[in-house]
Amino acid sequence: MAMENPGMIRAEGVEATEFPELANQFNVRGVPQTVINAGKGTVVGALPEKNLLAEIMRAVR
Amino acid sequence: MEKLLNEQVISQIKQTFEQLKEPVQILFFGSQDNCEYCADTRQLLEEVAAIDEKLSLGIYDLQADADMAAKFNVDKAPAIVIAARDGDQVIDFGIQYSGIPAGHEFGTLINDILLVSGRDSGLSEEVRDFLKNLEKPLHLQVFVTPT
Repeated sequence: MAMENPGMIRAEGVEATEFPELANQFNVRGVPQTVINAGKGTVVGALPEKNLLAEIMRAVR
Repeated sequence: MEKLLNEQVISQIKQTFEQLKEPVQILFFGSQDNCEYCADTRQLLEEVAAIDEKLSLGIYDLQADADMAAKFNVDKAPAIVIAARDGDQVIDFGIQYSGIPAGHEFGTLINDILLVSGRDSGLSEEVRDFLKNLEKPLHLQVFVTPT
């Protein structure tokens, strides 16, 4: 997703066990879990791109 | 130092890297400051980058190279940025991984390299349209574990 608009979008994979404070901050309970804009939205599990997009749209609105 | 990747794994990656199209620049950010996995992550990337000539690796330090870290929005170590390279130009695609890409996440690293090399996200038109027209910053953090 970041590739489509790198000026606006950053995609970061975070190894949760190495950065537990960050994982705790966003209440990461399972993996994969996607945190959008520092907690404005969150998606647990691997969802199809359309479902992820729906949550992104809600979070950036 | 003993290799992290054995001959069998290297030959598998070589085969996978036959799909590489355009050059890829990998940036490693380490830190002298309490970084348990920095040395292993750096070594792993050195071994991967040596497999194919389309890959280059730059080694940076989060503190000593603070300007590079800021340029690529890196605030953790170890961190890996997978960028495109065009001649001398490094083009940031906003793709990074924080932590050591071990276990299951090693496959993710290889896939990210292939994705950046292909210069194509593979997303549907609808999703691409929304993302291309996005006028607000979007930061996606995907939390994962190696197992």
